[in-house]
Amino acid sequence: MEVLTGLTTPIVFGILLGGLYTLIALGLSLVFGVMKVINVAHGDLVIFGSYLAFAAMTMLGIDPILSLVMGMPLLFVIGFGIQRFLLNRAFAVSLDAALLVCFGLSIIFQNFCQIIWTPFSRSLKPPYALESFSVGVVNIPLVYLLDLVAALVVMLLLREFLRRTYLGKAINAASQDTKAALLMGINTGRVYAFAFAIAMAFAAIAGVFLGLTYPFTPTSGVAFLIIAFGVVIVGGLGSMLGTLIGGMVFGLAQTLGGYFLGAVAQMFVAYILVFVILAVRPQGIFGR
Amino acid sequence: MAQETLLKVSNIDVFHGSFQALWDVSLVVKRGEIVALIGANASGKSTLLNTISGLLHPAKGSIEFEGKNISVLDPFQIVTIGISQIPEGRRVFPTMTVLDNLIIGSYNRKARAKKEQNLKMVYELFPILKERKNQLAKTLSGGEQQMLALGRGLMSDPKLLLLDEMSLGLAPIVLNDLYKALKEIRERGITILFVEQNVRRSLKEADRAYIMEVGRVVLSGDVAELREEEEVKKAYFGV
Amino acid sequence: MRVTIPGLRGGLIPFAAVIVVLAVLPVLGMPKEWLLYLFLFFIYLAMANMWNLLAGYSGLICLCPAAFVGVAGYTVAIGTWVGLPFYLGIIAGAIAAVAFALLISFPVFRLRGIYFAIGTLVLPEVLKAWFLLWRPVGGVMVGRGAGYAVKGVQGVSLTEWYWVALVIGIASIFLMRIILSSKLGLGLAAIRDNDDTAASSGIDVFRLKLYSFVIGAFIMGMAGAIFYSYGGYIEPVGAFSIRWLLIALLATVIGGEGIKEGPIIGAAIVVILHFLLARYAGISLLIQGALLIIIMLLAPQGIVGYIQKTRAYRLLSKLATG
Repeated sequence: MEVLTGLTTPIVFGILLGGLYTLIALGLSLVFGVMKVINVAHGDLVIFGSYLAFAAMTMLGIDPILSLVMGMPLLFVIGFGIQRFLLNRAFAVSLDAALLVCFGLSIIFQNFCQIIWTPFSRSLKPPYALESFSVGVVNIPLVYLLDLVAALVVMLLLREFLRRTYLGKAINAASQDTKAALLMGINTGRVYAFAFAIAMAFAAIAGVFLGLTYPFTPTSGVAFLIIAFGVVIVGGLGSMLGTLIGGMVFGLAQTLGGYFLGAVAQMFVAYILVFVILAVRPQGIFGR
Repeated sequence: MAQETLLKVSNIDVFHGSFQALWDVSLVVKRGEIVALIGANASGKSTLLNTISGLLHPAKGSIEFEGKNISVLDPFQIVTIGISQIPEGRRVFPTMTVLDNLIIGSYNRKARAKKEQNLKMVYELFPILKERKNQLAKTLSGGEQQMLALGRGLMSDPKLLLLDEMSLGLAPIVLNDLYKALKEIRERGITILFVEQNVRRSLKEADRAYIMEVGRVVLSGDVAELREEEEVKKAYFGV
Repeated sequence: MRVTIPGLRGGLIPFAAVIVVLAVLPVLGMPKEWLLYLFLFFIYLAMANMWNLLAGYSGLICLCPAAFVGVAGYTVAIGTWVGLPFYLGIIAGAIAAVAFALLISFPVFRLRGIYFAIGTLVLPEVLKAWFLLWRPVGGVMVGRGAGYAVKGVQGVSLTEWYWVALVIGIASIFLMRIILSSKLGLGLAAIRDNDDTAASSGIDVFRLKLYSFVIGAFIMGMAGAIFYSYGGYIEPVGAFSIRWLLIALLATVIGGEGIKEGPIIGAAIVVILHFLLARYAGISLLIQGALLIIIMLLAPQGIVGYIQKTRAYRLLSKLATG
């Protein structure tokens, strides 16, 4: 039974880390569902969120999770501005133009972070970052559990928002049928801006938990963008449960890949998985 | 029937890119009327509705609603001032429930205040929607989806209802119910402009009609007059 | 005598004159720094022309130029360790890039639009991860870490590399003109507008896109191989860096996507930018990113496209051909 006990830890870790990947993917999924564009700057914006929390910790001594009180509104406003002033105009040119504008933003945020915080690897290490607790044979770091809890909380909030509020329903409607939404009196331009802003607020949250879980550098964003994209594809659009399962699939791919092939192979396994999924079933396993 | 002009379209040209879809089109709808816009495929009927709804804008000419120029407004503003379109193909939101579809219809500020009131009216007109209110829209039959689309449009508290090819793909029995509902809607003070391909049926249900061909209005008038001409037009439309 | 190459306005003579002047520059004693920037210009020009072919003419937003560059670069580097002379190594590198392109075309070409873009985005990252892990077996190559020297570089002068780059840069221009006036070019124009309509007109969409992709891989690979041959050292982070995409993309877009002359102007501007901002690496990239956004929003047709729309230009071109 050695093999099985050995496997327990990576499996548990994979499931918990799945929460982190779900958190990262939620913002990407929201934007993709509503505006049909993959924001290739998403990973970099999440990392920007990590750096904001880092700044709050090192300059103001504020706990990273608490710093979200400042980080979320800031990213919300930035997101609103990006969609309202940049992406809106880009869409008027073409879908490709929007993709390229996102790419430009990716470069800008990466290098902005690099200029201010240098290429050195950073991480968020409040006192509880080193805590862990034992469940049976597994020694679980507290932050891993926090990742999953945060993901579930945010998912629940998002689901209720989309179901119960007018804006939430409008976002849902606009993502299913833009023309019909326009005819309902929905100002799709403003709805898109709010959707993007909400996605950016989620990126802020994801950034904090990413920083608590992993060290990060200004160029860490691309890797997480690719994983988040994989999660979105596996989960399919419009399915919260699917996104959560997608997150866990990638969490497990990473931890099990690391277990069998060594730590350095972790990202590699995740990338190959994305590629395979793209090639085999790009419309996702769960979504519409 | 004292009739003030509700909608006045005057001499509009509309382009899809560089292709001209409407040529010097004029049309009038008076308050309380049911007006039919008839024509074969690609005659410009949908383009005209989409222009009134603000999805397209005229290159020339003007559109006035209750005396005010609306030709430069955005689509969501058009809904707020009281014009609501039931689009071709119904286009209900498939993975939202019937109730959510109706609620989203009252999205604009003015309509939100009257949500309960309008919901009651829609349930009275289409009791089946109340029965199915928690079902996903995509599980409804064609006729039921058309009723849902109509109900959704009514939720935006319109003064003028635009209907694009309501009868497409529906059985005559279902159509009868729908046209009956239209008459009731008119009784409640809502003006109707509907687009159809079927000449005979349209002339039965409307007060006045416009006939379009290749982007132009070729005939218009009271349905009584037009029916006389219909003998001549039988060959034209192959009706 | 006026010799016309298909699509080459103005005839062969003025064009040949320009090439001769460019070729003679090192002999005339042009300072080494300027030669270096012209070297880079021709490399960037080749990359931009190919990106233009893919995105501007074939409707393929390919985010993987770094993959072709890196694969070819590593091939040349490995080649020098096993005794392969440079010029063969460069061609081998280009062929390796083509092989890679063919290999991934099967999964990647089944994807449309955004899925294709992300699929190509993943490739350089996968290669980077792979090469960071890769340690050659058999002890043929010696080195610590993942970076490898390109042996024997000291024996070749900048001037020689300049001429090689000149050849590939000019070749890329000719190649573009020939492709665009050929049947392939017509087919690509149809595909760019609408995949499905083109397919129903009997165009083998898959095959034509594949041709573009492979040609792009070849030239981009060759450009990369030349770059790393001159540079003398290759490592995964730089070889598969997003900067290659940014160069190709920015040069194409600044000049004008889908316009033949676009990449020439664009590559020139990008090289000048790199020159001006060489000292400030981070800010240089940040400005390039901002520039990309500004161009996309304010002048999506690029500088050349913008000029082509002005009255002055249209007047001039009427005079020239009339």
